[in-house]
Amino acid sequence: MSRIELDAVTKQYPDGTTAVRALDLAVSDGELLVLVGPSGCGKTTALRMIAGLEDITSGTISIDGRPVNDVEPRHRDIAMVFQSYALYPHLSVYDNMAFSLKYRKTGKSEIKKRVAEAARILELEPYLERKPRQLSGGQRQRVAMGRAIVRQPRAFLMDEPLSNLDAKLRVQMRAEIAQLQRGLGTTTIYVTHDQTEAMTLGTRVAVISGGVLQQVAPPGELYRRPANLFVASFIGSPAMNLIDARFERSDGGPVVTFGEHRLAVPQSVLAAHPALDRHLGGEIVLGIRPEHLYDPALGRPADPESVISLAIRLREELGSEVHAHAAIGRAAHVDQATADDVHSLATLVARMDPRTEIAEGQTAAVAVDTAELHFFDKESGASLRG
Amino acid sequence: MAAPSLTPERRAATRQGPGRWSPRRLRRKTGTWGLFALMLLVAVVMLYPFWYIIDNAFRSGTQFDRQSGHSLGGWRELFANLPVAGQMLNSTLVCVAAIAIILLVSTTSGFAFAKLRYRGSGIVFLLVVSALMVPLQSIIIPEYINLAKLNLTSSYLGAILVYAALGTPFATFLMATYYRGISDELIEAAIIDGLGYERTFVQIALPLSLPAIATITVLQFIQIWDDLLVGLLFLPPGQRTITAGLATLSAGRTTSIPALMAGSLISAVPAIVVYLIFQRHLVKGLTLGMGK
Ligand SMILES: Nc1ncnc2c1ncn2[C@@H]1O[C@H](COP(=O)(O)OP(=O)(O)O)[C@@H](O)[C@H]1O
Ligand SMILES: [Mg+2]
Repeated sequence: MSRIELDAVTKQYPDGTTAVRALDLAVSDGELLVLVGPSGCGKTTALRMIAGLEDITSGTISIDGRPVNDVEPRHRDIAMVFQSYALYPHLSVYDNMAFSLKYRKTGKSEIKKRVAEAARILELEPYLERKPRQLSGGQRQRVAMGRAIVRQPRAFLMDEPLSNLDAKLRVQMRAEIAQLQRGLGTTTIYVTHDQTEAMTLGTRVAVISGGVLQQVAPPGELYRRPANLFVASFIGSPAMNLIDARFERSDGGPVVTFGEHRLAVPQSVLAAHPALDRHLGGEIVLGIRPEHLYDPALGRPADPESVISLAIRLREELGSEVHAHAAIGRAAHVDQATADDVHSLATLVARMDPRTEIAEGQTAAVAVDTAELHFFDKESGASLRG
Repeated sequence: MAAPSLTPERRAATRQGPGRWSPRRLRRKTGTWGLFALMLLVAVVMLYPFWYIIDNAFRSGTQFDRQSGHSLGGWRELFANLPVAGQMLNSTLVCVAAIAIILLVSTTSGFAFAKLRYRGSGIVFLLVVSALMVPLQSIIIPEYINLAKLNLTSSYLGAILVYAALGTPFATFLMATYYRGISDELIEAAIIDGLGYERTFVQIALPLSLPAIATITVLQFIQIWDDLLVGLLFLPPGQRTITAGLATLSAGRTTSIPALMAGSLISAVPAIVVYLIFQRHLVKGLTLGMGK
């Protein structure tokens, strides 16, 4: 059990690629911190540096306050679960799990006890004599977990441990990992590119893009108060609608306009975004979560100042909810990482109650929960929240 | 040729129940027979020398001249003129020692080239592999002079070292290629599990590379056991290998073919035995790593 701290950690590969840039991160004792970001953003590199598998170009990594930059992996007392599981193919499940203990001078009976305990928790008891190739993907994943647990290390590092499983098993294993980690209370850094996995697992989530840390916060805060456009667009599904807009003052008070649409900005939102004032009369990026667009016909009252009329292009039926896609004039262009998601840029997505009668081809009145608007600086992408 | 599993179209053809002599079936049949005949021909060509050896090993000189009648004459002559047991032992000793050196060097250096990429390792690897291109004949005289100066031509040691030097480049190349096929994550898992590189090599890499080791063992065994040039040149008469010994049989004015055949037969046995022992691993080595 331990604290892990990264202080301005940078990694530049010999070929000149800077995979991680001045990363500051502190993981407290017993915490499950999730590193999330698109593929190639440097998550694996960061994890490998913590494990000691990769040299650090500059900065300091400390475990329990002691810098470990020059400590060999085996002396860091950290267990890692690899994306490919990396099970020893020639050893049985039992020997895979017992392997590291044998080299750490653990007593025979103690090894037996720990492996038996891990096998019980992970429901691997019937398979102890099997070789990895005789196991299913989910079972292999469990063995990889078991190999980490039996060591009772100071910390777990997990690199996309569920990415090789099918969707259903992934959801199941996700819950099991969360429970396991809480039960053991071992400090854990979990890497994934899947924002849902990140949100459901992490006590705190660190969002990384292009080797740069964007924001670290508990999942709820990340969702409600994204620090910048990248986090806003990366976290949440369907993604937040991001629209090029103008912030202006009209007779009735401050409004935000985009295309022919106009929304009144409530006082509470203004108070929460003190930086917004500086952009009066200028361009900003407006963010609206899909669930903050609703059908006023379903009973929830809406201020006429916050209703816009939208041409509905597509209605997607999901059972528990309906996604309505509407055309709007211009959409903000967020980031390379999300630029391929052209659809979300050209349209506004509303996540509505399934009872809504809004239909494709219709021009419908859609209400906006203006208390939940987000504003971002068009140049820097930073949130205008105070 | 013919795939073992049914392709969809063939399965469909089967369902429709084609006539016994449908054109497609006929074509397939003639194809199979053609292949069979070809393989038979190849087998005869390959096996004929064997038959010739066995047939003539059991004749005396006169029986060989007449090409009729069999006896143990050739064998008697062989054992009278050659210390067969001693030379077989010499062969074994040289083979085992040389292969041991080759395996020791090629596994460790192959692992280093594949997994411990250090500065300039690519160049060094290239140098090692380029040694494959040097024909033995072109360096054997300087080699001999070198070893003679070092006084290594009066015992087994010179030949063992020469064989080891000849076999190591290819073995290193093979091992490095094989180790590259083992995922880096597997090695790293062992490192994180608390092993140093040495132990990771012994506990993880070595057991996983048994097929490659078997391949090298068989290839080198056959090569060294059958080699004549190095054996004749670098070994003193008392330490001659069986192949070198057999060569001296035919060096006299009268060569006894039956004795030579008997000797060849006996000297072929160990190679065949080694092949049979490792065959299982060889086949595994060739198909390993295909598919997940
Ligand atoms: N050994 C390496 N040499 C050079 N560049 C590398 C190496 N490993 C990774 N990279 C680069 O560093 C960046 C981050 O990689 P990685 O940490 O694997 O990202 P992630 O795990 O987030 O997908 C990528 O651009 C990748 O191409
Ligand atoms: Mg990765």
